[in-house]
Amino acid sequence: MRIIHYLNQFFGGLGGEEQAGAPLEAREGAVGPGKLLEQLFGGDAKVVTTLICGDNYAVENQEAMLADALEKIRAAKADLFVAGPCFQAGRYGMAAGALCSAVQSKLSIPVITAMADENPGADLYREFLYIVDSGANAARMRDVLMIMANLARRIMSKAPIGSPKEEGYLTRGLIRDQFVEKTAGERLVDMVLAKVKGELFESEMVPTAFAPVPMPPSVKDLTKAKIMLITDGGLVPKGNPDKIQGSVATRWGSYRIDGCDDLKGEDYEISHGGYDPQFVRQDPDRLVPLDVMRQLEKEGVIGKLYDEFLSTSGLANPLSNTRRMGREMAAKAKQLGIDAIILTST
Amino acid sequence: MQLTLAIHPISEIRFDSKTRLNGATLCVSKEELRRLALEDSSFEGVDFEIARPGESCRAGPVFDIVEPRAKAPGGSPDWPGILGAPETAGVGTTHVLQGAAVTLLREQSTGDSRGAVGYVLEMSGAPAENCPYASLNHLITIPHTPPGLPEHSRLRAYRVAQLKIAVYLARAALDATPTRTEILDVAGANGEDRVGLPRVAYVGQIFSRQRKPQLDEPILYGTDTEGMLPVVLHPNEWLDGAVAPSYHCSLGGAETYFYQNNPVIMELYRRHQTQELNFAGTVATIASANNFDRERNCRFAANLVKWALKADAAILTKFGGGVPHTDLSETARLLEGAGVKTAVQVTDLARDRRVESALLFNFPEVNAIVCIGGNSTSWKVPRVERVIAANSGLAEVLAGPFELESLNAVGVANQQGASRLRAMVY
Repeated sequence: MRIIHYLNQFFGGLGGEEQAGAPLEAREGAVGPGKLLEQLFGGDAKVVTTLICGDNYAVENQEAMLADALEKIRAAKADLFVAGPCFQAGRYGMAAGALCSAVQSKLSIPVITAMADENPGADLYREFLYIVDSGANAARMRDVLMIMANLARRIMSKAPIGSPKEEGYLTRGLIRDQFVEKTAGERLVDMVLAKVKGELFESEMVPTAFAPVPMPPSVKDLTKAKIMLITDGGLVPKGNPDKIQGSVATRWGSYRIDGCDDLKGEDYEISHGGYDPQFVRQDPDRLVPLDVMRQLEKEGVIGKLYDEFLSTSGLANPLSNTRRMGREMAAKAKQLGIDAIILTST
Repeated sequence: MQLTLAIHPISEIRFDSKTRLNGATLCVSKEELRRLALEDSSFEGVDFEIARPGESCRAGPVFDIVEPRAKAPGGSPDWPGILGAPETAGVGTTHVLQGAAVTLLREQSTGDSRGAVGYVLEMSGAPAENCPYASLNHLITIPHTPPGLPEHSRLRAYRVAQLKIAVYLARAALDATPTRTEILDVAGANGEDRVGLPRVAYVGQIFSRQRKPQLDEPILYGTDTEGMLPVVLHPNEWLDGAVAPSYHCSLGGAETYFYQNNPVIMELYRRHQTQELNFAGTVATIASANNFDRERNCRFAANLVKWALKADAAILTKFGGGVPHTDLSETARLLEGAGVKTAVQVTDLARDRRVESALLFNFPEVNAIVCIGGNSTSWKVPRVERVIAANSGLAEVLAGPFELESLNAVGVANQQGASRLRAMVY
């Protein structure tokens, strides 16, 4: 088994922070922790090449470093790429994550790395990689390398990978299905009994905490403001020209309302499978309040209503989709100089 | 309130000239059942097939699955509110043909989010290994109704015929000696030997008002949940005919069979009997159509659990898809605020398989979550020897091979507590 091992300047023996600018270099054979890694793998495992790079160089010249490393790894005909363990070293972790991610996706070579949960590299790459939880303490080197070797073997043989706790890797934030012995009913009773008795229990899903969205500054002068209407209630012109899906939508549309004071049910349809649409069908202004906005426009309460409304369908949609669509809509509004947006949902 | 289940295990269903129980064999007369179904003029005809465990057989789209059960005289009636007056269910003796099921098929693809195949009953292969229905002997009932019949009349006819057939079959056991009996009762919960055991309640949604029920759709004692408020039910009422699932195919994950054998209620009963808890009772509720109703309903439900049932802990399950998560979690949050510990069951909504998209709520105190997965499980199902469907068009759709999503395999992602699917975070 041919292993390529990546180390930073410190673990590669070049020196400390004063060597952080050292460019990528390749050495034949195992260096430092690589020797232990070879031993722990046993059998015919050989670290054929060790790549060493200074932490600053790796982060500041990431693209060049990646291209150079990929070339060297390809040439070495590796069976496995190992990076670290990086423990809490942030720049080291980021370089190891970027390398593993690139090697895995571009060269289809199995990869393994290790770092502490708090390492910034963990947050950037955990979703894409199995990152062994190294903790912060480098004295655990031997244990961590052992876990890395075990997990790498499983990855290479395409064996089923157990839970983060069983295998020792950092939670990736992904979901997969499994059939278990107990029915959901049994699991519910187990869990509620443990909880009411103050015992430990393991929830099968964890809520995600989101960074708070800061309140934007208020509109300075509403009488001059350009306002836009956006809905996720799935209102689209008859025929659904953008083919916005009624569930798990990946698209949004922008539809003209200039010269129109009142939306008519017969001109629109609703592409949204999650609510009873009869009332919006009767009068789409109930979802996209064009009629009142026009009135406010006439009365001079608002400056101008933008000539199109934006629409998508907000049903069963993963955040990866909605985040992208939100950014696209925000970019459009920004480009158009919109001062305020009214979002209507269902 | 005491309910005695008189259990008659069934290992085989066979067609015969007369409906009767012969040991563990249920003999079924198609003629008798046909006559029974055709009492309703909505039907032009009805056919029957038998599907056995392990057989290379596929049936669909499934309308509902019902366990044949019949009330012995002297107790509450069969299916109150649907087959008779809405008297309280759950009293007396119920004869159960355990191992048998009456499974009625739809005549049309529902064409909504469940796709063309709808709910599929797969009797062999990998899906069957994980389906609680694949180990049953099914009397597949195939209705034929005229195309011009209004949809609500057709669905009503399905429901009534299926329940009548199931009751009729189980009546064959009324005079037979059951193999065993099971007594379901929460009396004695206040006994001295039970002091200090936690009082645990069950809160089950039975419909989501994001959909309009069909005209005449019987959900709770024959009513369609219009104007419904959360209501205290004795656990036996769920098991014995008070509740039926919605016709709506998109609100999946509930079948009559698992109201009759509600896994949460049965497990609470079991733990009640082993003196691990006191089963405090249940509340039936709905997911609301709007925020005003939600505020009100969630509070009513939580108050019933806290003050009427005096529970220390509660298990909550939802009905249908995304919106019901809101009512579920809000009720759980209110309960936690009132000092009642909760565990909730949700389905996995992360189409992108990311944890961040899995839940529609984020309350730190609602932290005991059973999560039914399903979004990344599907099976390539082969052609089978026998496809049972209402017409040749549907038979062709179901012939296979095709990719069967776990959410389309009836029972696999059941939301009443029967599923063994689990979403694992990794």
